[in-house]
Amino acid sequence: MTESPRLLEVRDLAVYFKTDEGIVRAVDGVSFDVDRGETLGIVGESGSGKSVTNLAMLGLVPQPPGWVERGAARFRGDDLLKMSERKLCGIRGRRVAMIFQDPMTSLNPFLTIADQMTEMTRLHLGHTRRQALSHAIGMLERVGIASPADRIADYPHQFSGGMRQRVMIAMALSCHPDLLIADEPTTALDVTIQAQILELLQEFQREQDTAIIMITHDLGVIANICHRVNVMYAGKIVEEADVASLFASPRHPYTLGLLSSIPRLDERGAERLTPISGQPPDLANLDNGCSFRARCRYAIERCANEIPELRMVSHGGQAACHVDVAEAAGQEKAHA
Amino acid sequence: MPDASTTPHAAPVESNGTSPLLDVRDLQVHFPVRSGWLGSNNAVVRAVDGVSFSVGAGETLGLVGESGCGKSTTARAILNLIPPTGGEVYFEGQQIAGLSEAAMRPYRQRLQMIFQDPYASLNPRMTVGRILSEPMRIFRLHDSRRRRLEVLRLLDIVGLNPRFVNRYPHEFSGGQRQRIGVARALAVNPRLIICDEPVSALDVSIQAQVINLLVDLQQQLGLAYLFIAHDLSVVRHISDRVAVMYLGNIVEIAEAQTLYRAPKHPYTQALLSAVPIPDPKVERQRKRIVLEGEVPSPTKVRIGCPFADRCPLADNDCRMSAPPLVGTDHRVACFKA
Repeated sequence: MTESPRLLEVRDLAVYFKTDEGIVRAVDGVSFDVDRGETLGIVGESGSGKSVTNLAMLGLVPQPPGWVERGAARFRGDDLLKMSERKLCGIRGRRVAMIFQDPMTSLNPFLTIADQMTEMTRLHLGHTRRQALSHAIGMLERVGIASPADRIADYPHQFSGGMRQRVMIAMALSCHPDLLIADEPTTALDVTIQAQILELLQEFQREQDTAIIMITHDLGVIANICHRVNVMYAGKIVEEADVASLFASPRHPYTLGLLSSIPRLDERGAERLTPISGQPPDLANLDNGCSFRARCRYAIERCANEIPELRMVSHGGQAACHVDVAEAAGQEKAHA
Repeated sequence: MPDASTTPHAAPVESNGTSPLLDVRDLQVHFPVRSGWLGSNNAVVRAVDGVSFSVGAGETLGLVGESGCGKSTTARAILNLIPPTGGEVYFEGQQIAGLSEAAMRPYRQRLQMIFQDPYASLNPRMTVGRILSEPMRIFRLHDSRRRRLEVLRLLDIVGLNPRFVNRYPHEFSGGQRQRIGVARALAVNPRLIICDEPVSALDVSIQAQVINLLVDLQQQLGLAYLFIAHDLSVVRHISDRVAVMYLGNIVEIAEAQTLYRAPKHPYTQALLSAVPIPDPKVERQRKRIVLEGEVPSPTKVRIGCPFADRCPLADNDCRMSAPPLVGTDHRVACFKA
């Protein structure tokens, strides 16, 4: 290879879990790329595999019951999935950092913020205790914690939810990672605090050219900060596009369904929402058809017999559907 | 505390001569908290600090605000699940705040509640049939045969298969459980249902199903809802009028479309601007009012406007006295509005 490798290249990743109901294919053949300075959104409902995809890359899927069935996740050319635990430790937290939904359970309640923040930079950047402490105080100041030199000796419970998430962000960014994986980082927070946190992430991204993978179920958050979007359903990416095209002309019935099922703040909207009917499928009992077809209003016979592959569509991205949704929706309108 | 102009237990009368279904007047819930060495500092959390609003028959009033603003406590105080420390609650013209459990019981039949967590609010040891017949049994509605038929009818109207009657809650998904919660509230023919974050635990694609169900039931049965939620888009969709709470107070209340189109209180404006809109084209052009800091502690003794610490418009007047909620249809508590 002559050109430099991409920041992150995930190819055909599959993660399975063994459960009482059988083998659950939580992630089943997922491929995507992330480049420097860009924000990739991953959207989908609970159980769609959006979190597991990212946990697997960092070797954080509990084994057993889970395992990586196949695939590769190349970070700057090196496959994270085949790396020794020791080498992975040098990347996790240093080059790839992660923040989670619930900052209370991801901070250790028995250690002060100082203990938790300095551990990272002493390990990864070789800071002395004193260097690490002043670096940590600087980071807390950057994320907007008032009088950080005093607050750093506090325990997590002494901070509010929004403040804890700021601490998590300060900690995650303290080694200047190339890639930040944010798993529902604002879901537990109020909207005014969410606005502050999203602003903060974008600021860091502009400054350090950090790539962000934003995992969320909130399409508003996606529209707000993402450049490209993967839509996941039942362990697969069903649509992939740049953010403007995805919202302007969704090409998978699930994406279309999601967009028309949410009420919007800026519109009075119709009397009734258009929900997606039915329930998500049981991942332990998937068949050889499209996993969305039972809930899909455009399903045809072929959908029961053949799993649709991702293919290029006219908006420049890809969708995994046998039906041309834009055309089908257009015809529906014409008939109405 | 009843003021001199109204006699206790008398229904407040609207200008058109009819009294609203629910009328909340100056409701207060203060909790004592002990802190310091052996509880030497006695502070008071003013969770709800003088809240007044009404809900008419067949109407939906949305109640929004961020966590800790007192919206859930307001709901619980109306139902006497948390005893109010002040104010009055009139339901169908009768004062019910602070009634004993026995005196409250007849009102509970017409004043029901749906909870946020469809996992915690259904008894895991009861079948769906039992969960739905229990409220009818408690209120001595119908004989046992009729109750069994009622259970099947309830399952049907909330969109669940009546064959599920002998299943247990764990056999259902979150959305289906929330339908069971709705059916349980309907079992005793209520006139008002207090919905506390009824869809926030559900996936986006399932939320719309439950919202549509609530809207349909309202139209069929003439129900009134007090709809409490932090999702402002959902509240706009479902509400006729909306009240915005901040730190135990209502800061603005208006007809829903008016409030969303032209919010007057600086907090409402900031709150609405903070909600991301699922449309990148719109999102790129929006101006966001990012508020500084966080909601102050409700134990803090305060004489001025509750929002003064974070308000971009606040001046000395705002810190010296609290603005009252004024106006007729569109009421707002702000000196600057």
